[in-house]
Amino acid sequence: MPPLDKKIKKFLKDSVRIAPKISSKGELTELRTGLVSPYPQTRKDAIKKTIQQMTVGKDVSSLFPDVLKNIATNDVEQKKLVYLYVMNYAETHPELCILAVNTFVTDSEDPNPLIRCMAVRTMSMIRVDKILDYLETPLRRTLQDDNPYVRKTAVICVAKVFQLDKQLCLNLGVLTDLVSALEDPNPVVVANTIASLTEIYAMDSTVINLNDLIQSHVSKFLLALNECTEWARITILTVLSKYSAKDSIEAQDIIDRVTAHLQHVNPAVVLATVKVIIINLDLTKPQINDPVMKKLSSAMISIMSTPPEIQFIALKNIRIILEKYPELLTKETRIFFVKFNDPLYVKLEKIEILVRLVDASNIKQCTILLNELKEYTREFEPEFVSKAIQALSQLAIKYSKESFCNKVLDILLELLERQDTFKDDCCIAISNLLRHCPTSTQMVTQACGLLNTWVEPELILNRDEAKCNYVWLLGQYPDKFSSLEERILGFVENFRQEDPLTQTAVLATIVRLHTRLPGTILQTILELATKETIVIDIRDMAMMYWRCLSIPGGDELVQQLCNTAPPAIDNILDTFPPEILKKLIQELATISSITFRPQATNAKKYVRPETVVKGKKLDELKNIAKNEIVKNDEVLLDFGDDATEENNKNTTTLDDLDDLFNFGTVLPKESNSGTNLESDFNKLGINGGRQDTNTTSTSTTTQDLMDLF
Amino acid sequence: MGNYFSSMFDKLWGSNKEIRILILGLDGAGKTTILYRLQIGEVVTTKPTIGFNVETLTYKNLKLNVWDLGGQTSIRPYWRCYYTDTAAVIFVVDSTDKDRMSTASKELHMMLQEEELQDSALLVFANKQDQPGALTASEVSKELNLVELKERSWSIVASSAIKGEGITEGLDWLIDVIKEEQL
Ligand SMILES: Nc1nc2c(ncn2[C@@H]2O[C@H](COP(=O)(O)OP(=O)(O)O)[C@@H](O)[C@H]2O)c(=O)[nH]1
Ligand SMILES: [Mg+2]
Repeated sequence: MPPLDKKIKKFLKDSVRIAPKISSKGELTELRTGLVSPYPQTRKDAIKKTIQQMTVGKDVSSLFPDVLKNIATNDVEQKKLVYLYVMNYAETHPELCILAVNTFVTDSEDPNPLIRCMAVRTMSMIRVDKILDYLETPLRRTLQDDNPYVRKTAVICVAKVFQLDKQLCLNLGVLTDLVSALEDPNPVVVANTIASLTEIYAMDSTVINLNDLIQSHVSKFLLALNECTEWARITILTVLSKYSAKDSIEAQDIIDRVTAHLQHVNPAVVLATVKVIIINLDLTKPQINDPVMKKLSSAMISIMSTPPEIQFIALKNIRIILEKYPELLTKETRIFFVKFNDPLYVKLEKIEILVRLVDASNIKQCTILLNELKEYTREFEPEFVSKAIQALSQLAIKYSKESFCNKVLDILLELLERQDTFKDDCCIAISNLLRHCPTSTQMVTQACGLLNTWVEPELILNRDEAKCNYVWLLGQYPDKFSSLEERILGFVENFRQEDPLTQTAVLATIVRLHTRLPGTILQTILELATKETIVIDIRDMAMMYWRCLSIPGGDELVQQLCNTAPPAIDNILDTFPPEILKKLIQELATISSITFRPQATNAKKYVRPETVVKGKKLDELKNIAKNEIVKNDEVLLDFGDDATEENNKNTTTLDDLDDLFNFGTVLPKESNSGTNLESDFNKLGINGGRQDTNTTSTSTTTQDLMDLF
Repeated sequence: MGNYFSSMFDKLWGSNKEIRILILGLDGAGKTTILYRLQIGEVVTTKPTIGFNVETLTYKNLKLNVWDLGGQTSIRPYWRCYYTDTAAVIFVVDSTDKDRMSTASKELHMMLQEEELQDSALLVFANKQDQPGALTASEVSKELNLVELKERSWSIVASSAIKGEGITEGLDWLIDVIKEEQL
C-alpha cells in the first residue's frame, strides 16, 4: 500500500479536474494527444475541437484513426460527433473507413434508433466495395426496424447502395424490401421509399416498374400526404403528378385532396401542388369561375410575395401555365406590375407575363398596361427598356385596334426623339406595327418620317433583325424616304459584314426597287450575293433573280414576285408548340420550367461528375481534335494533353482550331455563318447541334486545305 | 477511516482513468471470441473483423478498454494507430496453425519494436487448446521466440476461448503486472 500522500498526489494527477485541457488553437498534435487521452472528458473535448476545425475547412483527415477510436462509446453525443466526422471524410478517405466497419455493424443493432440510423446511413455512403459485403445484414435489419425513423433512413440507403453497386443491390434482393416499404404505415417512410424508388428508376429504368407502382399506390400517397414533412410532401406530390387518373371523378378527387396544400408556406410545396392540379384539370375541364381556378390563382399570387429568386421561378412556371389557361390570372394583372426594387431578371419576366396576361377584349386593362409599359420605357436599365419596347408592340398587336397601335407608335416615336439608344428595338417594333396595320397611311407617314431622319442607318442600327426590318421598310415605302439610293448604297457597301437576314433583305429590296435605282447597284448586289456570301439560300435567291431578270419579260415577273403583299401579322408573342407545352406542363416546377426545354427522354442522368470530367467524352473530343491536326500535317499546333483538362477549355480549343483553319481559306466567315445558318435556315435541314456544325465545318475546311496543298 | 479513504480513491481513480489493452494476432486466431468471452462470458459467432471491436469492462475494480483489432494483412498496418498509451498487449495465437507460426512471430516482434509499446506488458494466449494437434504453450513460446524478449513482463498461457479455459488466468496475471508497474 503506497503512503497516503503519494496516493493523493496520484489522485490529483489523474482526476478529471486536472485532465489535460485542449487549447482553443487546435494544433494537430495537441488534438491527437487529446483524442487518445485516457480521460474520457479530454477525448470528447478533443473530438469537439477537431470537428470545429473541420467545419472551418481545415484538413483534419490525418486524425482519422484517432477520432475513429472514439466511435465505440456509450455516450450518444460523442458517437454522433464521431459519425459527423466520419461522414465528412467518408467520400474522400474511404480506405480509412474500413476501420469502422465492425463498429457500424455493431451499431446497427444499438438500442438507440438514432445510432442504428447513423450507422446504416454512414455505411451506405462509403464508396468501398469491401464495406458493401458487410452492409447486407445491417441494411436488411434496418429496413425491417421497429422504429420508423430508422426505416425511413434505410429506404434511402437502398438507393445509395444501388448507385454504388447495382448488382450487389439486386443480389441482396433489397429492392423487393423497398417496394414493400410502400405499404409502410408511416407516411414519411412511404415518401422516402417512393423518393428512393424514383432515384433508382432514374439510374436504371429496367429494374423496377415505377409507373405501375405509382398507379397502384395512389391512395397510399394521398393518405400519406397530410401527415408527412414538407419535403416528403413535395416528393409525394411530384409522384402524384405522374399518375394518370382514370376518369374525371378520380381526377376531381385528387384535386380535392391536394388543394389544401396550395396554402402551404413553402413555395416548393405550392408549386408541386399546382402541378398536380393542373395535370388533373385536363380531365375535369373546369369553367373559369370554378372554385379551384380561384384557389390556383391565389396560390400563384401568394408566391409573388416571396424573395425575388423564388418569384423568378414562379414567373417562369406561370408563363407555362398561362399558355394552357390564359384566363387564369387575368384579374390579377396588377400583381405583376414591376416594382422599382425588383431585380432585373424579375422585371423582365414580369413584362413577359403582363403582355400575355392582359385580356385583349378589355380596353381599360389594355390602356392601364399601355401606360405602365410607357413608364417602363423611361427606366434606366437598357435590357428592361428593350423588353418594354417589345412588349408595347406586342400589346398593340394583341389589342389590335388601329387607334391603339397609333398610340403605341406615338410612344415609340417620342422615345426615339428623346434619346439615341434603343433604335434597334424601336425599329423592329415600328416595323411590326406597320405590318399589323398596313393600310394606315397616317402611321406609315409618321413612322417613316422619323426613320428618314437617320443618317447612315446601316451604322446606326446594330442587330441583324433591326437592320433587315429597316431595309424592308425602304422597299415597302420607298416614296417615304428621301435619298433612297444613298441609303441603299450604304447597305450594299456593308454587305459583306452583314448577317444573313440583312443580306437577304438588301438583296430582295434592291431587286424590288431596281427600276428606281441605277443599274450598277443591281449589278453589284447580284454579284455580291452570288459570290461573296456563303449562305446558300441567299446565293440561290440571287441566282434566281438574276435568271429572271435576264429572260425576256423578266421585269414583270420580278415585279410580280416582289410586290405580293406580305401577310399582315396578328400575333408577335412567342408560344410553345403544343407537344412542347404538354411536356412542360408535365415538368412544371422542375428545371425544365426555367429553361423552357423539356428533359430529353434519353438523356443520361446520373453520370458521375468525375467520369464526365476525366472520362471518355473528353478523350473522344481530344482525339477528334488530334486527328484533325494529324490529317493536316502542315499545321503545327501544340495540342498537349494538359490543354484538355476541362470541358469548356476543350471546346474553346476546338473553336480556336476552327478559326485557325478558317483563317486564310477562301471562306472567311464560315464558323460564324455556320451557326446562323443553323438557327435561321433550319428548314434546309442543317439543324444539327453546335457541335455538329463545328465538326462539319472543321472537316470541310480541312478538306479545302488539303486541296490547296 | 483509512480504509474508507482508500476505497474512495480507488473508486474515483478507477472511474477516471481507463486502462487500454490491445488484443492482436493473425486473423482467425480467436481475438474477437476472447474479447466477448471477457465481456459477456459467452461464445459469440464471429465474422472476420474489419476494423475493430472495442469493449469497456470492469475487472478487479479496474476499467479496461479492450481493443480487438482485425487481423487481415490489409488491416495490420493500421495497428500502429492504436499503440499510444497501451498498458498491455494480448497476442493471440492459433496453436493449431503451424504454417503461420513464423508469420505470427514476425508480426509480434515487429510490433514490440514500436517505441510506443516499450512499456506495455505482453500476454500471449496459445489459443484453441481444445483442438487436437494444438501446440503446447511452451512449443508456441519457442516458435515465437519469446525468450528473446528482455526488459518486458511477459507470459504465455494456454487457452481455449471456446471452452473458456485459461482466459481469466491470463488476465489475472496481466492485471497484477499492470497494477504493479503502471499504477
Ligand atoms: N476450437 C476453437 N475454435 C476457436 C477458439 N477460439 C476461436 N475459435 C474459432 O476461430 C474462428 C475465428 O475466431 P475469431 O474470434 O473471429 O478470430 P479473430 O479473427 O482473431 O477475431 C471462429 O470460428 C471461432 O469460433 C478456440 O479456442 N477453439
Ligand atoms: Mg476478429
